Amino acid sequence: MSAASSKGMPVVRVVPETIISESTVVADIEKAVTAVFDGVIDALTRPLTADEKSPKPREPESSPRIIFKGSLEDVNRFFYQRGWTDGLPVIPPTEDAVVEMLTGTDLPADHIVAELEPRRGKVTVEKMAINAVMAGCLPTYMPLLIAGVECLSDNPVSGMMAASTGSFSPFWLINGPIAKDINARATYGATSPGDIANATIGRALGLLTKNMRGVRKQIEDMGVLGNPGKYTWVAAENEENSPWEPFHIDRGFKKEDSAITLMFPQSFQQMMPFGTDDKGILATVVGSLVPARQGSFALVLTPTNATSLANAGWTKQAVKDYIVKNAIVPQGYFTRLGLPEGVSFDRGDVTGPGSGPKIFTPGPRNPEPVQVYVFGGFGSWMGFAQGGPPPVTRKAELPKDWVQLVAKYRNIVPNYIRY
Amino acid sequence: MENSQYEVLSPWSEADPVPLQGLSPRLDDLAGKKIGLLCNNKRAAPIILEVAERLLKEKYPTAETSYFYARSFSVSSLERDRKEEFDDWLKGLDAVIASVGD
Repeated sequence: MSAASSKGMPVVRVVPETIISESTVVADIEKAVTAVFDGVIDALTRPLTADEKSPKPREPESSPRIIFKGSLEDVNRFFYQRGWTDGLPVIPPTEDAVVEMLTGTDLPADHIVAELEPRRGKVTVEKMAINAVMAGCLPTYMPLLIAGVECLSDNPVSGMMAASTGSFSPFWLINGPIAKDINARATYGATSPGDIANATIGRALGLLTKNMRGVRKQIEDMGVLGNPGKYTWVAAENEENSPWEPFHIDRGFKKEDSAITLMFPQSFQQMMPFGTDDKGILATVVGSLVPARQGSFALVLTPTNATSLANAGWTKQAVKDYIVKNAIVPQGYFTRLGLPEGVSFDRGDVTGPGSGPKIFTPGPRNPEPVQVYVFGGFGSWMGFAQGGPPPVTRKAELPKDWVQLVAKYRNIVPNYIRY
Repeated sequence: MENSQYEVLSPWSEADPVPLQGLSPRLDDLAGKKIGLLCNNKRAAPIILEVAERLLKEKYPTAETSYFYARSFSVSSLERDRKEEFDDWLKGLDAVIASVGD
């Protein structure tokens, strides 16, 4: 309903049915369609009401700039009850806090970075700053948040990804000098809790998904299982210890550029390779990719894994090519599972036939369905981030006084007491 | 701190109203009409439409049907990638039943 309304059709005829998401049980589908078919006929033939012919315009949404005054607890309860949070407490976005957040960009507060689907909410720099304060961001994260919104805007299906039954979660990869400037974690536990940048950049972009894109759980977001990555899922690439050029160079940016990349994996699987040499690593990858997976694929290597491959003569491109070529559905795979051969898989790959022996089919819409990210500490575990459309990368534009800004905030780091 | 009061800004963004459109005129009867069956690429979608087509023809034997198979999940991809082809298909139809298969 929200999708139709946001496209100018606030009144639609809905015939509820009981077919479960992604059902393949023909008898269930037959029964459910039969049960509601008279309703479908009625929806096509019953004369329109006046409101259906000519819907009444809704009152324009006008949220006062100052929305509430109260204690920390009151503010949190008010925001939570409005559906504006992710369930965790938020920092109250006071005028002072928002003004400080706005020091992270030279763009004016009323500049509209994008209007994001499905609600087409205007993402002004100030609204971004408000959500960034709520998430606990530091002002130095603003350039990445703005570039992140550009990634969301440039991806034609990001609205659909946020709302899908498949529970796709944004994953954000940070590249370039900004990662060190803001202490975005690239090493041990890069995607685990404990670092403000990784914790709050994804969180802020998640709040923005609710409060500007208008994607709320079980209203617009119909993710069936859900995804913990929707709280935050951010890593910086471990450029310092990678034997290869950073990912943003693969995407056409310069090494000195700072950039953020968005992809929408459904899952993050970690595994121990069959062996830690190049043969063991690559065999694990192509041997573990299964047809039930969907969409884009990112192989996450630790610097250890990447160095092992590089020492054996593998470039990053050669690794990607190897995976595309050798990730295949083994002959007899479906028969062994008691299914007919040629079962359709990976409908997310719109470029391919949706079936066939190859797991990946490069095409015009996704010429490189396999990517390689290098982050994490020194160890052999490796990861698969899988799902969604091809990644989108955007450059972060830094404000003129970046050096001073970084000096003000970069020492905000945890100092763990040893025991 | 317990009694501190915070005056806070709204995180909810504005959105411009979009031009509204009503539903297309309804048909008096489906007999003799050409009904489009729009199928996205979710796997339940064609099964749903095949059942719907059979029920439609049982009830209205003179109704004709015409399928259009999208290659993606979303109608917006049709608008983006195959608009001309899609618009041509729509021209010959009296009504459309769309199956999202989700």
